[in-house]
Amino acid sequence: MGWQQSLQESDASKVRTIYLNEPLRNSFCKNSISTAKYSIWSFLPRYLYLQFSKAANAFFLFITILQQIPDVSPTGKYTTLLPLVIILMVSGIKEIVEDYKRHMADKLVNTKTVIVLRENTWKTIMWKEVNVGDIVKASNGQFLPADMVLISSSEPQVTCYVATSNLDGETNLKIRQALSETSEMQTEKQLSSLSGKIECEGPNRHFNTFVGTLYLNDKSPVPIGPDQVLLRGTQLKNTQWILGIVVYTGFETKFMQNSIKLPLKRSNVEKVTNVQILVLFLLLLAMSLVSCVGAILWNEWYGEGIWYIRMKEYISYSLGFDLLVFIILYHNLIPISLLVTLEIVKYIQAMFINWDEDMHYRRNDVYAMARTSNLNEELGQVKYLFSDKTGTLTCNIMTFKKCTIAGIIYGNQSEKSDTDIRKLSLSPSVITESCEFNDPRLLYNFENGHPTKDYIKEFLTLLCVCHTVVPERDGNNIIYQASSPDEAALVKGMKNLGFVFTARTPTSVTIEVMGENFTFEILNILEFSSNRKRMSVIVRTPTGNLRLYCKGADTVIYERLSEDSRFMKETLTHLEYFAKEGLRTLCVAYADLSEEEYQQWLTQYRKASTVIQNRMQSLEECYEYIEKKFLLLGATAIEDRLQARVPETITTLLKANIRIWVLTGDKQETAINIAYSCKLISAHMFRIQLNLNSLEATQQAITWHCEALGTQLSKENDLALIIDGETLKYALHSEIKRSFLNLALSCRAVLCCRLSPLQKAEIVDLVKKHVGAITLAIGDGANDVGMIQMAHVGVGISGNEGMLATNNSDYAIAQFSYLEKLLLVHGAWNHFRVTKCILYCFYKNVVLYVIELWFAFVNGFSGQIVFEHWCISLYNVLFTSLPPFSLGIFEQCCSQKSLLAYPQLYKISQAGNTFNTKVFWFQCLNALIHSFILFWMPMKMLEHDMVLQGGYTTDYLFLGNFIYTYVVVTVCLKAGLETQSWNKFSHIAIWGSIIIWLVFFAIYSFVWPTIPIAPEMAGQVKMVLVCPYFWLGFFIVPIVCLTLNLIWKSIRNTCKRTLLEEVREMESSRAQKFHPTIFRKRVEAKKVQMIFATPPHEVVLQSESFDQSIPRGYAFSQVEQAVITQEELIRSYNTTKSKQDKVTMDSSHSRQK
Amino acid sequence: MKRTSEESQSRLPDNSALKQQQLPAYRLQLTATGVLSGFFATGVFCLGVGIILILSAKSIKEIEIKYTKICGNCAKLREDATNFDKECTCSIPFYLSETMQGNVYMYYKLYGFYQNLYRYILSRSNSQLMGTDLKDVGTCAPFSRSHDGTPIAPCGAIANSIFNDTIILSYNLNSSIPIEVPMLRSGITWWTDKYVKFQNPRSKNLSIAFAGTTKPPSWAKPVYELDQEDPENNGFLNDDFIVWMRAAAFPTFKKLYRRLNRIQYFTEGLPAGNYSFNITYNFPVTRFRGEKSVVLSTLTWSGGSNLFLGLAYTVTGAVTWLAFFSMMAIHLMLKDRKMFFTQQ
Repeated sequence: MGWQQSLQESDASKVRTIYLNEPLRNSFCKNSISTAKYSIWSFLPRYLYLQFSKAANAFFLFITILQQIPDVSPTGKYTTLLPLVIILMVSGIKEIVEDYKRHMADKLVNTKTVIVLRENTWKTIMWKEVNVGDIVKASNGQFLPADMVLISSSEPQVTCYVATSNLDGETNLKIRQALSETSEMQTEKQLSSLSGKIECEGPNRHFNTFVGTLYLNDKSPVPIGPDQVLLRGTQLKNTQWILGIVVYTGFETKFMQNSIKLPLKRSNVEKVTNVQILVLFLLLLAMSLVSCVGAILWNEWYGEGIWYIRMKEYISYSLGFDLLVFIILYHNLIPISLLVTLEIVKYIQAMFINWDEDMHYRRNDVYAMARTSNLNEELGQVKYLFSDKTGTLTCNIMTFKKCTIAGIIYGNQSEKSDTDIRKLSLSPSVITESCEFNDPRLLYNFENGHPTKDYIKEFLTLLCVCHTVVPERDGNNIIYQASSPDEAALVKGMKNLGFVFTARTPTSVTIEVMGENFTFEILNILEFSSNRKRMSVIVRTPTGNLRLYCKGADTVIYERLSEDSRFMKETLTHLEYFAKEGLRTLCVAYADLSEEEYQQWLTQYRKASTVIQNRMQSLEECYEYIEKKFLLLGATAIEDRLQARVPETITTLLKANIRIWVLTGDKQETAINIAYSCKLISAHMFRIQLNLNSLEATQQAITWHCEALGTQLSKENDLALIIDGETLKYALHSEIKRSFLNLALSCRAVLCCRLSPLQKAEIVDLVKKHVGAITLAIGDGANDVGMIQMAHVGVGISGNEGMLATNNSDYAIAQFSYLEKLLLVHGAWNHFRVTKCILYCFYKNVVLYVIELWFAFVNGFSGQIVFEHWCISLYNVLFTSLPPFSLGIFEQCCSQKSLLAYPQLYKISQAGNTFNTKVFWFQCLNALIHSFILFWMPMKMLEHDMVLQGGYTTDYLFLGNFIYTYVVVTVCLKAGLETQSWNKFSHIAIWGSIIIWLVFFAIYSFVWPTIPIAPEMAGQVKMVLVCPYFWLGFFIVPIVCLTLNLIWKSIRNTCKRTLLEEVREMESSRAQKFHPTIFRKRVEAKKVQMIFATPPHEVVLQSESFDQSIPRGYAFSQVEQAVITQEELIRSYNTTKSKQDKVTMDSSHSRQK
Repeated sequence: MKRTSEESQSRLPDNSALKQQQLPAYRLQLTATGVLSGFFATGVFCLGVGIILILSAKSIKEIEIKYTKICGNCAKLREDATNFDKECTCSIPFYLSETMQGNVYMYYKLYGFYQNLYRYILSRSNSQLMGTDLKDVGTCAPFSRSHDGTPIAPCGAIANSIFNDTIILSYNLNSSIPIEVPMLRSGITWWTDKYVKFQNPRSKNLSIAFAGTTKPPSWAKPVYELDQEDPENNGFLNDDFIVWMRAAAFPTFKKLYRRLNRIQYFTEGLPAGNYSFNITYNFPVTRFRGEKSVVLSTLTWSGGSNLFLGLAYTVTGAVTWLAFFSMMAIHLMLKDRKMFFTQQ
């Protein structure tokens, strides 16, 4: 596989040395990136190479070359060259247009600006001009242009925050800290006097590793690790500015190294088509051989007797020569225009996707974008949907939504307001940062002496005090900086309730309650970790008491509740209720400590914090001593805001028989919450959780589950499989891969959590390879790029700043919910269109060109064609070129409304029954019958030769023009029969084509001898059009051909009515104002039949193997085991002090700019 | 991805029905009534036309006499190409029982002669036949030049193999004195051929104009001597030549030879009575196992006697009606069944 190779290469590459402030000694790859296919110079050779590496085009090139051999071509020398050139030109123009767009997109990225130290001053340059060794200055909110080593930052402890969601999809911010050796280097002078070098490993694709050493002159070398590295694609957050030295640029950045070379994706339909073209080629060879044999037999039979042509002079031509003649004669059997027709059709289909107002995200003014048009019809066949969570299903916005305090639930306003919000978010999708908690009862209870008043106060105070958020004053506003989005949501929520967290000093926090300030002295912070699932602070309250505040997972809090704790039952019920809604919950509790108790613990704590080995572990053990005898206050519920209409979309997609797998880099709890809130998992579903840490255990568990499923294995069960990245690593081992897949396929929903980008791609690959169904991957971040590229169809969520996912996707949409329209409407339509178009192209070619074979039977297999050369070569590019377009562009199997209302219709295209080898052969057989009728009837009509007034006799081309006209009429009307939705373009295409031929025929008959072509055609039109037989045949021949089709179609419709037919009938009867509800019932009944034809298997399983307990929805994101502990971090802030030094820094910058 | 605001302004007509794929469209729905009435109407139409065609084809008088076997001696003689200079004639008497009303056309008909062979059709020079360049014989192989290299005019296999029998129809008015039936040898070609495709080289004297060329090997006399009486029918403009040069589509074909000049006894057509064909037999057909015949026929509005089209219409009409009735039956049956299901 491509990336493995590149991985090895990069690993093997040497250590790189970067010299500081010596730009000339650092020569590495440029920082400009290019995703385009061609440059101006490479266009022609590369384009021609690509075109002729397509078998069909190469074949036509071969025919064109053959035609140049004198006397071999019965169809003239340039009759294949011309259409081939037209076709190459058309698709060339299309390629140019598409590549131009890619160039523009690259340019947009490459010309973003960044501030860099050049010649001792700060200069604003474009991203593409950034070189290795440059010192870059980035400010808050900026994306970083290259991989760099952090030198210094505006923040205390020289830290900075970066959002890495673009790379790994994780929601929390990451902390990076500069080396203390460089932390003071902030001014231009210091920086430009910097001399020394950085040695580091060569470019590679691992996000979390970095090995380097900084050699500063006159100082001992310092190691640089991943904590000092800022990567391209990440965004600077909550940090005023940072300085960094660029180490990797352009394609060598870890971000770009992770993007696999854009693979050429070809749709399933295209693959089937290629096979069919091959089959047609074999048919062509067979026909040629038959004709050769026929020619030999004919010559044997007549031999010398054919005195009028002196056969003996031609006998010298060998069998091979004859074969070439016949190959050229029949070569048009392979539809030359098919590929280019498809390209244009798909291009326009893609434009329809781009234009679709229903997929226009008005808030950001983002339209859907089809970045490739190859896969339009694949959208109609998706069976497996792999979705990222963060930013795809969710908006990546946390809001404090509900809480339960002392057994009373708040924020649970009536459904009405809920639906109001829905509506609001539905229409222009307004998402505000504001907290959605809006329950006046809470404050009312608090202010009016409700019995639970004290609990409410304590609860709110706790949430204001127990966290790691840093407030920053910006005028009158307070901006909260938090590495945990949950905490930020809570603190913001409190602020809205009047409990404002205003200031933090290294030892205290200040909150403002109803205009009154309270300062809590922070004594200790007992940090969060995912093992502990909780965090606590020990504070001295303004009244001087010692108190421990704790928030965390329900399981860990409940274990530690004191016997006096109340409201346990109510809170638990509420937690379950929150969890069902998919909210992220945290339990909140406190404990009062006595001085004595605290002092005792403090000595223990000091001891633990000085332990050298396993300090973390001993600290955690130490925390256990004090975190006990909690008194429960309540719980919070945070909404990880879903994008608009996600649950509805998922429900619809499930109805459309699409299996949805959620692959996320985020935590398991979070993923489960989201799965609940988007209705992917319902409360009554059994869950299989696989969280294991060895191959054996994984294998055992999977085998055990598979056995438990028994006969239900590989059938759809009402199960949810939840697996984490660690377990998946083992599950994807080659021995158990297969059984893991079987298990996963037996589940209705699959959740994979904590996955690396590569694992996401691996899962998609697994399903793609072993199931053979069409997969679609949707995601928004760089961590989804792998799976987006791996899946048959990759969809990127566009609109957020990181563009990597969209740049690697096949389709970019702004909202997950647009998938519904993209798949059910565009996908289904395009599938029907493309398959109809392809079948029709095959049909029309077979019809016309097999006539040559029938004619060969009466002309002694001599290779004579019955038509004029240019007429047949223009058949595909002129006379019958429009109907495939009208079918491919405007055909609608049924209306958009019906497709969305009955997602079951998607199954038709999904199953691909409209296009497979059987259908293809059926269509070919039909074409053969038609071509036979089209030859045989005019032959019988003209056999007697006396068809013209005045007794004139006719010639072979007279017959040819009869047949040709009938072919054009029949083929066009056949397109009409295939067209289920006639709009004005269909009329233009169908009637227009017939008229174009007749007009061409009329003009072409007068060309000779003014222009020296087509002498045979001279005068034909005058004779043909006045011939009564011509007009008599004009009606009867197409009628005979098409009546057969019509009878067949009618019988099939009557006997075996499909859902599609029912829906279509309803649509047309709706137009006639029939009662739609009666019909709806009928369709529903049909639907029920369809659905329960294979009823979901009732799962009767041992309950211990499958977890059906209701989860409590705990989830919390926080930085863990970072370079600097949370405690150290927040203790370094003093927000009460003005940031004098920062201001001076800033002003000095602006002066230099 | 994001479009700039100017673009979005220029994209105002975005909500057009075309771009949103909401163009008004007629849904082609094969409803039972539509299909059935369509079939019924088609059936009526086809049957009607078919009957008319059959009746009109029946009204045509046609007589065909194969003369290869009747003139067996001549046929035998012509099998040997060296006998080309020996003349052979043959007379075929026949009785016409009914008068052939109106215009009567005389055709010769060849069986098993493949005028549609690829190399045969190729072997002609259209520019030579235009009279513009007599020396242009490039495409005429194998009959482009004589042994001494002189270009052949008209060159090519088609011209070389021209049908060269002479057929004279005589009418035995009083069973004793045969009268030669007056026949027109002009007006038997397509207009375009006579006036556009075929032109003699510009010269007052045709024999001079054709100087430097030689006659095709099978021809008895050069092209400028084809009809010395009528300069409009001589050289490349000879009607028989032009007719021959239109290559027929099938190995069995007719070519128009003469048409009745309706004068004297023949103003009404050919009266019933005794006739005979006097044939100068030149064209060899037995070598390729072919046959020759001569055909006399009248024409109607739709052409000659060909029942095929009439039958095709009638059969199609009948089949559509059959389909109509059987589909009606199926439809009614299924309709009942559907009712049954919905009641349940």
